[in-house]
Amino acid sequence: MNPVALKALLALPALLAPTFMVSSWLRGAEARLQASDPAAAEGEVAIASVAEDAYCTPRLKSIVRRVAGACGLLGDSGRGCQPMQAKQVAQLTDDEFNALFRPLAQRAHIVQFDADQTDLDTAARGVVEAAWADQRGASFFFVVARASPDGKTAHNEELSAGRARSVLDHLIARFKDPGIEKQVGLLWLGEDFAQLGEDFCGWDRSRKGEPCTVKEINRSAFVAWIDCAI
Amino acid sequence: MGRFDDFDAFDDDPPEADHDTVGLGALARPVRLPLLITGVAALAGVIFAATSTADFTAHLDRQVHAIHCSVVPGATAEMGESGCRTVMLSPYSSWFRTQYWGGVPVALFALAVFAFLAYRALHLAVKGQPRRSEVFFLLAGTALPCLMSGIYGYLAATKVGATCTVCVGMYFASGFAFAGALVAFLLTRPAPSPDPRAVKQFALGFLEGCGFVGVLLVAYVAFVPEVKASAGRGPAGCGTLVQADDPGGVFLDLAVRPGATPSIELLDPLCPACRAFDGRLAASGLDARLSQRAVLFPLDATCNWMVKTSLHPGACAVSEAMLCEPASARKILDWAFAHQEDLLALAKTDEPGLRKQIMKEFPGVASCLGSPQAKNKIVQSLRWAVANALPVLTPQLFVNGRRMCDEDTDLGLEYTLTRMLEAKP
Repeated sequence: MNPVALKALLALPALLAPTFMVSSWLRGAEARLQASDPAAAEGEVAIASVAEDAYCTPRLKSIVRRVAGACGLLGDSGRGCQPMQAKQVAQLTDDEFNALFRPLAQRAHIVQFDADQTDLDTAARGVVEAAWADQRGASFFFVVARASPDGKTAHNEELSAGRARSVLDHLIARFKDPGIEKQVGLLWLGEDFAQLGEDFCGWDRSRKGEPCTVKEINRSAFVAWIDCAI
Repeated sequence: MGRFDDFDAFDDDPPEADHDTVGLGALARPVRLPLLITGVAALAGVIFAATSTADFTAHLDRQVHAIHCSVVPGATAEMGESGCRTVMLSPYSSWFRTQYWGGVPVALFALAVFAFLAYRALHLAVKGQPRRSEVFFLLAGTALPCLMSGIYGYLAATKVGATCTVCVGMYFASGFAFAGALVAFLLTRPAPSPDPRAVKQFALGFLEGCGFVGVLLVAYVAFVPEVKASAGRGPAGCGTLVQADDPGGVFLDLAVRPGATPSIELLDPLCPACRAFDGRLAASGLDARLSQRAVLFPLDATCNWMVKTSLHPGACAVSEAMLCEPASARKILDWAFAHQEDLLALAKTDEPGLRKQIMKEFPGVASCLGSPQAKNKIVQSLRWAVANALPVLTPQLFVNGRRMCDEDTDLGLEYTLTRMLEAKP
């Protein structure tokens, strides 16, 4: 065979076959690229969001929204939680109100106080801090303070308000989180609404191991993150 | 090894006798067999290089594809992590990465060279009675893939830390091709007098080889896929940060460089993809143009309510440590990346054990790790992602507040990041 022809016979396929293959692969990639929709691929990925747990019933969310609204946690109105009539906010009976919080048994903590006192002891501070640190995806931190029926009703309302405030003050001092005041909802019930039953003594509380009666459990602030998107 | 002026002076036209002998009056020498070995080895190299090039070009559509990772030609492609994928995504797999999305794969050059060597070897084997200068040229040609195999084998072992099986196929093909050419050269007798055309023919052969490479390169560049710059694709990025500031104090300085473009990386210290991304970014050299901060997003259900199962168990603990001691964040991150597999395995069975190991390695975090303050910091970090409605995945890179699209974080990193850096804020 002619040497030039032999060379060409071997060289051309050696050159053209890879060139054809490469250009064919690239044209295929180009076609797929133009046909693809990046937005669709992005849409398949979950978006970071706050938590919405199963216990977020419409009733509970309604109360959270009312308290959050009354305390100025919603919108840009700024914080201004005023003393209020819990019954009006909740618009529920005592039992209905407490029943709403029962699904939070694993999430809630009960901070206990001495009689006629609003100061947090060491154990109470630890419980408050642990509760706050366990925010996860929750949006609102509820502090529902109470007082035992001992003493006058008006005084007990002030006492429960002081207890709620103590919890908030400690959180502000300890965590220095600029968002705290937009996340904490305070509700003080005094002695005349939604008193806790003795069964709440079995919940996580700051004075574990100490005697617990209806009086002790109501000298308290119930603290919990609410995993509801409001 | 013969000198150039030793090359024999046969004409292009072979003597009449069609047998594997070289030199007038020389003893018959079976030179055709080693030439065929070189040709077959080069053809095997063509197959491996073509496989690798095909896998690479498939990814130019910015999607995830299966990759061939076997020395057996025609083996099934595999999804998921493999040495071949790691090598392909490494910055050493292609050149001109800032000019073309993904760059031009090294395998394309290998394909051109192997095709050229196959043609040259088979040509010599078919025509018979090659001159020594021709065989020397073939030997020199086969030395090139051998040299590149050595360099890339070294890079794979020392820089990438993974081996690509298809590449190993190319290494072996290079070795056999060279060995065949060497034997053929040794079996070819030197010419009795210097060949005045040897240098010219060597140069012509070299140009011919360059032509093979050039044609494939031109074809590649001509057809390489491009996307129009538009929002949601390419350098335009995929969205911007709604809350670029740091009210919770969760930004961690990884490498703050005054005057450099501000960037934020959303990462998980125990996420292999984050480690690989960090390595690619460093290898690209473009990290020097970024003032790098990080926000932690551990994909660990222990602290992250957005994941149902822990993709990276232990990531919460390591993240806590980084937030406990922000000044050591980079050091802790490097340590976590270096021991990622071990830490993940430990956390899977003994999370407290992992915390002990962190405290042993970084005693400064001991009083903070696991504290409410540390946990709160993690929550703040995660809520920064919530405030910006970010996808639940890592890593994510924000350059001047613009999010690099996920499809551009591996092969297209250099191309896209260069353009994002050049864009005005």
